[in-house]
Amino acid sequence: MEEARFEAFRAAVRQDNTDPQAAETAAAGRRANKRILRGITPLALAENWITPEQEKDYAALYTVWQRIALGELSGGLSQENLGIVSKNWADMSAVSPSYNSRNFPSEPLLKLIPEGKSEVKRPVFLPAPHEIIARASEDFRGQSELGDLNVWGRYLVSIRTIAGGFLLVCLVGVPIALLCGTFSFFSRLIEPFVDFFRYMPAPAFGTLLIALFGIYDAPKLALVFLGTLPQLILMVANTTRMLDTSLLDAAQTLGANRKQLVTRVVIPGILPNLYNDIRILLGWAWTWLIIAELLGVKAGLTEIIDTQGRRFHFDHVYPIILLIGLTGFLTDQFLAWFRGVIFPYTEQGISASARSAARVLSKVSPLRLKRALRAKPVTVAT
Amino acid sequence: MTAPVLELPPYTRQSPEVEARFHKLKKRPVTLDVNRLTKVFSTPQGEVTALENVSFALHRREFMCVIGASGCGKSTLVRILAGLESASAGEVLVGGESVSGPGPDRGMVFQGYTLFPWLTVKQNVMFGLKMTGHSEATAESEAMQWIELVGLASSAEVYPHQLSGGMKQRVAIARALANQPRILLMDEPFGALDAQTRAQMQSYLLQIWRQVDITILFITHDLDEAVYLSDRVLVLDSDPGRVGELIEVPVPQPRNPRQFLTPEFLSAKKRLEELIHPQQRDGEEDRLPMLRMTKVGDDVV
Repeated sequence: MEEARFEAFRAAVRQDNTDPQAAETAAAGRRANKRILRGITPLALAENWITPEQEKDYAALYTVWQRIALGELSGGLSQENLGIVSKNWADMSAVSPSYNSRNFPSEPLLKLIPEGKSEVKRPVFLPAPHEIIARASEDFRGQSELGDLNVWGRYLVSIRTIAGGFLLVCLVGVPIALLCGTFSFFSRLIEPFVDFFRYMPAPAFGTLLIALFGIYDAPKLALVFLGTLPQLILMVANTTRMLDTSLLDAAQTLGANRKQLVTRVVIPGILPNLYNDIRILLGWAWTWLIIAELLGVKAGLTEIIDTQGRRFHFDHVYPIILLIGLTGFLTDQFLAWFRGVIFPYTEQGISASARSAARVLSKVSPLRLKRALRAKPVTVAT
Repeated sequence: MTAPVLELPPYTRQSPEVEARFHKLKKRPVTLDVNRLTKVFSTPQGEVTALENVSFALHRREFMCVIGASGCGKSTLVRILAGLESASAGEVLVGGESVSGPGPDRGMVFQGYTLFPWLTVKQNVMFGLKMTGHSEATAESEAMQWIELVGLASSAEVYPHQLSGGMKQRVAIARALANQPRILLMDEPFGALDAQTRAQMQSYLLQIWRQVDITILFITHDLDEAVYLSDRVLVLDSDPGRVGELIEVPVPQPRNPRQFLTPEFLSAKKRLEELIHPQQRDGEEDRLPMLRMTKVGDDVV
């Protein structure tokens, strides 16, 4: 298949070489005429004759020309331009009634005369808050011209990427960090490399990641992973080292062996601080996510920001930025609250609601359940 | 002009009952035998001898305090006995067997609070039992007995951060005792407590000691505490740390706070004072330089 296509391509080039001059002129004429064909686009878009996705769809534009020429559409074109349209349509329909990229006139078509309102529209970089709110409510209800750029769908893609990448980095990084923090051997083996790697910005690996993992989800996960991993290892290793050594002394005098020291003292001892580290690192992962989503095929919320930003539709961009900010903030607030639920023994910053949730949780803990099952039923004498 | 100093009997004079008690005590088997223990630290400035040829023996159910100026190696000594540090020379025998490294036969209560914050009081006391292979149910019922002994049964389900300093140390004692060690090592356990709580803890500790078959080695720098608690007081000289004197406290057992002002108590305390601050003669203080900014009138001092 590939072989055959390549041969056909070579044959076409040879064909062109037989009469280079003529081939060149014809091709140039067709290219120029296609530009003229596209000249109708702004009007077609403004009048909703085509959707934004059809902007480069020549077949659709061809039909627009046809319908104007036949008088089906007018869109307030001047008489002069209506004349140009029917003249051009006569030339085009003479060659082919429907669009065909090979069978397209190469003789010069007439250009449309620019028409427009005298008002010059500048892009608005800072829309008013109420405009953003109005736009956001449209966008988030899927009622705006974002079309199939469904905000919630993109949002889900972003959340999936960050959750996947972050879970992966925790699974790999936390055990390594625990080893580094607990045993100086691993610390000296691993941490110098990590320290070095930390200074190489993760986005610098972007093209490499695309080459390795393709253009879809994988390189994005990989970037979140690479960006967060060094920080995670160094932070968590340090947290592990900060564990009060007198707890280790105490455990040893109580008969704990090396393995028990790690599983019964080091791990439970650092969990509350490890949890905090993870919370901070999650914020960093969001930063990497925005860059990651530009790798390969743009995806997620960044796709909306990037595309709409390029079109100067900043009223679409701000709601997305706010959405990301709110997501991060609310996640962090929830995690802070939840810390009190799962670590009720830490001293500060536990809200009353977290305390009561912790009490409920402790009532269903396995130990209590076991005891409840063992307890004898109370018999009531009548 | 110096105030008249109270005449005290010599600290070596013992009443017949105290003498009989020491006689009996020394016939009991030796629980802890420390033999020519030496510890040398190598620092960038050269080698520092923390302990030199320290030898002494503790008999079963004896209560011994180790006292000495700060930096004399008291903590190093107890950490070596607990197995948390290794000695440069010499050996430690517990119940006749040489030990190295930490083990559940030597319980320890630390100066700082070392309860595991993620475990409740009960789980803290169960910790050692579970480490040494007891089942959950046995560990739980035994732990509860020790918690009751230190009077904290009502706080069994709370986390350490909800306890006062004194309560934390009581849990620490229960936790160390739960493993039923032969000897309990205590490294200035009441050092961080206020005076009132400390006095209360001293009497708790003496009660526990009377009720439990345990030998206690107690590090302190508080002279009253040393005399009040111990059968014998080991005085460590500093730099390098070696045994200065082993004093038999002439105060009769059982102890109570009223004995603090008896002649025997004061004579023992006076002797400790002389040993710990040997260079200091009566009535003399280290002179601080006078500050020139202040004009000191003679109506103040």
